[in-house]
Amino acid sequence: MQAPPVAAVPRDIKIEQLSMVFYGRGEPVIALDKIDMNVAAGQFAAIIGPSGCGKSTLLRLVADIMQPFAGSISLGGESPRLARHAHSLGFVFQSPTLLPWRSVKQNIELPLDVVGRGSSKRSTRTTKDLIDLVGLNGFEDALPHQLSGGMQQRVAIARALVLTPDILLLDEPFGALDEITRQRMNLELLRIWAESGTTALLVTHSIAEAVFMSDRVYVMSARPGRVTTIIDVPLPRPRGLAMMRTPEFFDCVNRVRDGLFGNEQGGAPARGEPIEAY
Amino acid sequence: MTAALAASHKIARASWRPLLTGAVLIGLAEAAKHANLLPVFVPSPSEVVMEIWNSPRLVTENLAPTAWKSAMGYFIAAAIAMTAGSIAVSVRAVYGPIYNFGVIIHSIPIIATAPLLALWLGTGPQVQIAIAALASQFPMLVGTMQGLQAADARQRELMHVLSASRVQTLWMLLIPSALPYLFAGLKIAAPSAVLGAITAEWAGADRGVGAMMLYALFSYDTPKVWLSVFLTCFLAAAGFGIWALIERLVVTWQRDVEIAD
Ligand SMILES: Nc1ncnc2c1ncn2[C@@H]1O[C@H](COP(=O)(O)OP(=O)(O)O)[C@@H](O)[C@H]1O
Ligand SMILES: [Mg+2]
Repeated sequence: MQAPPVAAVPRDIKIEQLSMVFYGRGEPVIALDKIDMNVAAGQFAAIIGPSGCGKSTLLRLVADIMQPFAGSISLGGESPRLARHAHSLGFVFQSPTLLPWRSVKQNIELPLDVVGRGSSKRSTRTTKDLIDLVGLNGFEDALPHQLSGGMQQRVAIARALVLTPDILLLDEPFGALDEITRQRMNLELLRIWAESGTTALLVTHSIAEAVFMSDRVYVMSARPGRVTTIIDVPLPRPRGLAMMRTPEFFDCVNRVRDGLFGNEQGGAPARGEPIEAY
Repeated sequence: MTAALAASHKIARASWRPLLTGAVLIGLAEAAKHANLLPVFVPSPSEVVMEIWNSPRLVTENLAPTAWKSAMGYFIAAAIAMTAGSIAVSVRAVYGPIYNFGVIIHSIPIIATAPLLALWLGTGPQVQIAIAALASQFPMLVGTMQGLQAADARQRELMHVLSASRVQTLWMLLIPSALPYLFAGLKIAAPSAVLGAITAEWAGADRGVGAMMLYALFSYDTPKVWLSVFLTCFLAAAGFGIWALIERLVVTWQRDVEIAD
């Protein structure tokens, strides 16, 4: 029996007219152009779109890693900075971003070392539970360079769960994982999300994953980065693999695909790297 | 106990190659001398060893002063270079000036400055210590500056999202990422400190490997000249080797970075 999990403080994500411009050599890049988003507290939202449409930029703005050019972000009524200082944000990067001198166990516990082991944000899951969860038994004391890319990414996911964030930001977290592990991690992530009440924002390249995980899918287009379509996913929860065979699931998948590619059925995306159609 | 055993095992594994290389080179030199392949002014290793055997006090009396003066200068330089390097990285405005100052000191010809410094500081050990410090600071400065900037942008963002304090970021991220670069600097600087101290001894010191080298040169005592060369190499290699060993024991996750100036 597990102790009752630590609940997240419910925080919604309200993004209004958010724009981001990068000035470099040559013409300024409009990475985000007047984005509006509204993710209710405790909801799971996914963002899908071609490479370079500003998905990572959006997540980094929400996490207060960068300052927006224009527009506003409110996380449960607070600025991203305040939310960050309250240790309310969890972030899984596209690359594992482990500290190479720390073992698997020490990498997972990094947030505890920063926030303090007595923090009220601390998840009731022990490090051992988390290592079990991501399937890294026996690798507790291994250093990152001894692990495969997929294993490293699983360490990064466990690290994001050692505190219970109010808002969990995931930037293509499962891209490096094989299909089987990916499906398992998705199910686990949904379970943890459901029991903690965290608001989650997931960037993904997979239409099926976006639909399977979320209550709402934001479809974006590139140059300039815009939200072109919003698709609500009314599928019941808890969700299991069987749901992926239902006509309702296919219906949502098709709506997201139409949002991405317009009505040119079966057509390839105009630019950027290929989207996993299914 | 087992930890000590593991450490000594590690040391043995790390050092057998250089030791073997040294032994082979000495053997080759000995053989070449006996086959009359070397010029008359190059003695065989055994002749140099005989020199040590015949006058052991020559070695002890000259090696020790040079060793401690090099070490003093080296550690003073390390302390100053690491402090200056840390300031340079944290205060952007002084980054360029500190780096350039290091370059200028590094380009001073020691052989010319040693006598001038002796005029200024007197002929005591302080001259040799100062020169050893001046001669060895640059790699440690560069190692510190490069090392403290070695953490990649994602890792910094990770600490930022966790809302880590500056001290936590320094301690948990910046210093560990700097270690390989610091060790590279410490290793490269050690022989420079020895050479600096010895050059400074030429400008006036009654004891030390440099003094011994000068006396031997002026009295055409070839084996003794070579002995002083050998002692110089020994000190320089020891300084390098000690840090190489410590690095092997500390930096287990990565090795051999290059520091570029
Ligand atoms: N730090 C930056 N400096 C300059 N341009 C950037 C920077 N970050 C992202 N960009 C540009 O902004 C656009 C969106 O990038 P990104 O958010 O990484 O897209 P995505 O994650 O959707 O692939 C790209 O054209 C990229 O080149
Ligand atoms: Mg991205």
